[in-house]
Amino acid sequence: MKLERDKWRRDIFPYLTSELKEALRRLPAEEPVEEIRLRAGRALLVQSGSGEIVLSQVTVSAAGLHQVLMLMTEHSLYARDEELKRGYLSLPGGHRAGFAGRAVVEGGVVKLLRDISGINIRVAREVKGAGEKLLPRLFDPKTKKVQHTLVLSPPQAGKTTVLRDLARLLSGAGLKVGIVDERSELAGCYGGVPQLEVGPRTDVLDGCPKAEGMMMLVRSMSPQVVVTDELGRPEDVWAVEEVINSGAAVLTSAHGRNVEEAAGRPALARLLSAGLFERVVVLSRRAGPGTVEAVMSGGEAACLAQRRGKAHVTG
Amino acid sequence: MLPVKWIGALLILLAAASLGNRQAARQRRRVLELEEFRLALRLLSAEIGYTATPLPRALKEVIPRLGRREVRDFFREAAGRLAMEGENAGGAWSYATEKSRVNLALEEADRLAILRAAAGLGGLGRVDQVKQLEMAEAELAKLAAEAAEGLAGREKMWRYLGVLGGITVVILLL
Repeated sequence: MKLERDKWRRDIFPYLTSELKEALRRLPAEEPVEEIRLRAGRALLVQSGSGEIVLSQVTVSAAGLHQVLMLMTEHSLYARDEELKRGYLSLPGGHRAGFAGRAVVEGGVVKLLRDISGINIRVAREVKGAGEKLLPRLFDPKTKKVQHTLVLSPPQAGKTTVLRDLARLLSGAGLKVGIVDERSELAGCYGGVPQLEVGPRTDVLDGCPKAEGMMMLVRSMSPQVVVTDELGRPEDVWAVEEVINSGAAVLTSAHGRNVEEAAGRPALARLLSAGLFERVVVLSRRAGPGTVEAVMSGGEAACLAQRRGKAHVTG
Repeated sequence: MLPVKWIGALLILLAAASLGNRQAARQRRRVLELEEFRLALRLLSAEIGYTATPLPRALKEVIPRLGRREVRDFFREAAGRLAMEGENAGGAWSYATEKSRVNLALEEADRLAILRAAAGLGGLGRVDQVKQLEMAEAELAKLAAEAAEGLAGREKMWRYLGVLGGITVVILLL
């Protein structure tokens, strides 16, 4: 596994105020930083692979947060307002910043966030090789057949990393891959260019709603594999069914510690119990992010999901 | 003795006339610069409204499309300042306005109109940002129209004033 641990400093430091930079410089270079949390009036927190680090010498100010926001948008809120409405910005290098603040609502829709009170910088960890162990279970290089696969994991357990690496590997194996990257997490596009390696035969539809994006890709880019992240809405399920019927393979993920938990969500329950997925992969953080807990066939997953469904009805 | 006196008188006359000419040319330059700033603001608001280009790049995009060097310098100053740490868009714009004061033939009212574009620059949504620039542009259009009105008369006046002022000084000294 190749992992450049210090790269985030180069990517993220240009967006930080000098006192934040100063405090973060004191962290050891090999610290596996996952998140940098800035909250107005509170100490700077760093979430790392080894736990939480409180940098209490720095108190983040509201003005400081505003400055960080302006640096991240290149002094141009208008250029990023669509992303800000959804509460996050993607940064060069595939990193992301999430925002909390006061929502300004117009006609029931969030128009913008003002008075930013918190920024969470999520450091992208491009772990090449994260999908290597899984690949033989999902892909037959002779027939070039990719199984329809669902990756399940709780947050921060590496679903996106694994999906991205699988996309890279499949693309490298000669398949046309299409990624629908609704939240700019998979490919981390910045200015239209994927910042993370997704392979030589990969098309990315960036910032596009999943369901619509999947259909757009199938219609226009003739992908052999469609990759998308965090399934969950009813329309996503219809789109997955459509893609499967169009002949492309689907590689996707959802939140959930196991099949039973995922089947608790109506949209996913339908997909799982119908046995549309041929493989279900469950990940956890037990031995670090990306630990493979189980790889099961679609039939097994369908059984589990149906049992959960019955328990739900009788209980 | 006599020729020296006449040469001196001639020099004074020439100096005064050229001073008048300079003032007259400045009147014309002001109108041209105002028009150029209008063009620049329209280009900038197109960059923002149509392609949503971030300011550092939008400012640089505008430069090669402008004809007058002193206005190009204004945008170069603003873009350069914006790239500095701790600076914001409004601050960079004000800085460029101040910095280019001596190179431009603009008057205080013109500068205020240009500064109006700095209010909220970069901190507004796309629609409001475009509106703000359009407002500043309209203000500049008004000033340019006023400046163009009677420009020929004012130019002539400054030229005459130069020559006549020169003659007056010569007469007084002779």
